[in-house]
Amino acid sequence: MMFKFNLKILLLLFCSVNAMAQDPRLLLNKVLVKLSQAKNYKADINISVDLPYIKMMPINTKLYFKQKDKFKIDTKSIAILPKQGFLQLNMLLTDTANYTAIQQNQQVVNGVKTSLINLLPNNDTGDIVLAKLWVDAPNKVIVKSQLTTKSSGTIITEYTYGSQLAYGLPDVIKFIVDVKKFKIPKVLAGDLNTTKSKKVEKSSGEIVVILKNYEVNKGIPDSTFQ
Amino acid sequence: MLIKSTYNELIKIAYKPRSFIGIGGLIIIISIVLFAMKVDGDLYISLITGQFEQSLTFEGTILNGNLIAFIIIQMLIIHVPLLIAFVTGDLVSGESAMGTIRLLLTKPVSRSTILLSKFLASCVYTLVVILCLAFMSFVLGKILFGTGDLMVLKSDGLIIFQEGDINWRFFYGFSIAFLSLITVATLALTLSCFSENSIGPIVATMGIILLFTIIGSMDVPIFDNIRPFLFTTHMAAWRYFFDDPLNTTNILYSVAILVTHIIVLLAIAFYKFNKKDILS
Repeated sequence: MMFKFNLKILLLLFCSVNAMAQDPRLLLNKVLVKLSQAKNYKADINISVDLPYIKMMPINTKLYFKQKDKFKIDTKSIAILPKQGFLQLNMLLTDTANYTAIQQNQQVVNGVKTSLINLLPNNDTGDIVLAKLWVDAPNKVIVKSQLTTKSSGTIITEYTYGSQLAYGLPDVIKFIVDVKKFKIPKVLAGDLNTTKSKKVEKSSGEIVVILKNYEVNKGIPDSTFQ
Repeated sequence: MLIKSTYNELIKIAYKPRSFIGIGGLIIIISIVLFAMKVDGDLYISLITGQFEQSLTFEGTILNGNLIAFIIIQMLIIHVPLLIAFVTGDLVSGESAMGTIRLLLTKPVSRSTILLSKFLASCVYTLVVILCLAFMSFVLGKILFGTGDLMVLKSDGLIIFQEGDINWRFFYGFSIAFLSLITVATLALTLSCFSENSIGPIVATMGIILLFTIIGSMDVPIFDNIRPFLFTTHMAAWRYFFDDPLNTTNILYSVAILVTHIIVLLAIAFYKFNKKDILS
């Protein structure tokens, strides 16, 4: 009797450990499934840039997305976005076979209890060195990500959800981007009278994208992306 | 009398072939820049954005008429004074060289009125040159390249102005550029009063501009006290309208320095012209 009871405990323990080991991929898969519900969408976006060496006013424009990787910002204005921006995370989630997912401890991000998952690439040929994802497990959405890349340094992205939580689409995306020191000769810039340039202390800045008036799964022709 | 005299001076300018060399040269240079930008403009843009492209992407039309206009003004504002001095440096000395000054000064018009009419005629010529520059760069640039936001390159970063926030900056920018060219025209006219031949004032004007520009662009502390008072320092004041936030103190200071130069140079010119010996 005692032996049977111990066996049950062992089995239970084994199953739970096994389940925990599968958890990160399972959780990421749930996030991906939720994101995949939005086959296409368009939204009005407001982009505010607060980066060292760049001054610009916020701009309003439209964003179009269509599965699996069609993306367009329709603007006559000049818009600045991080290089590893909107699509990178989607690509990463669909490509999890090439990464090893490791679940870390739970953390609270912006008041939301999240599971931290580290993704390590299985080979070193890609651009991404390490990806950290803070996942809101009950809502199956990513609340924060940190991508460390060979080409672009580290990009931290924070997502705030609201109206389109059902599709896993954020209302606000905040990118924190590393910017390298900008310096060009005065002759090329043409501002010969500038004798003392202001010293910029910051090496990183923020790009905040506010998304409104989502139209999800209403259909977007391919010609929009050409 | 002043208006009629000014009209006569304008006729004289219009009949001199050299007056059209400058405008013709301007049209050719701007046409070459427009052609080069149409063919290879993206390469120029990558020079501007290249330092950020490692971590950022730029969406939208960066290469547009507004940027073209900005590039052209920036390139040519250094060279346009030569074209202005070419004509205005000849206004008095040219008459001395040809001997027509004696005939001119025997007319029942005061010497001051004659010189003032020459100054006003040089202002009109400068206006024509600046309007030509504005049309070729701003209007033609927009027709060829379309319109859009303006990305201004500075030695320590980028400023991006939205399309609706640009036209007034160009208007005031051209106005300040006009004022700085008037300063050059006045300098050439003043030097012209001291000379009996045309080449001297033109070369002297260019020499002064060159010298002051070199002093102004050298980051040497010894020139720090001189630099703010050189008119060449303020010839680039049009760029202040492409700063954010707008530095009105710098703009007003530049206007004050340029206007002071014009007044002082005109005073010297009036003094010299009224004392000018035309009998020798």
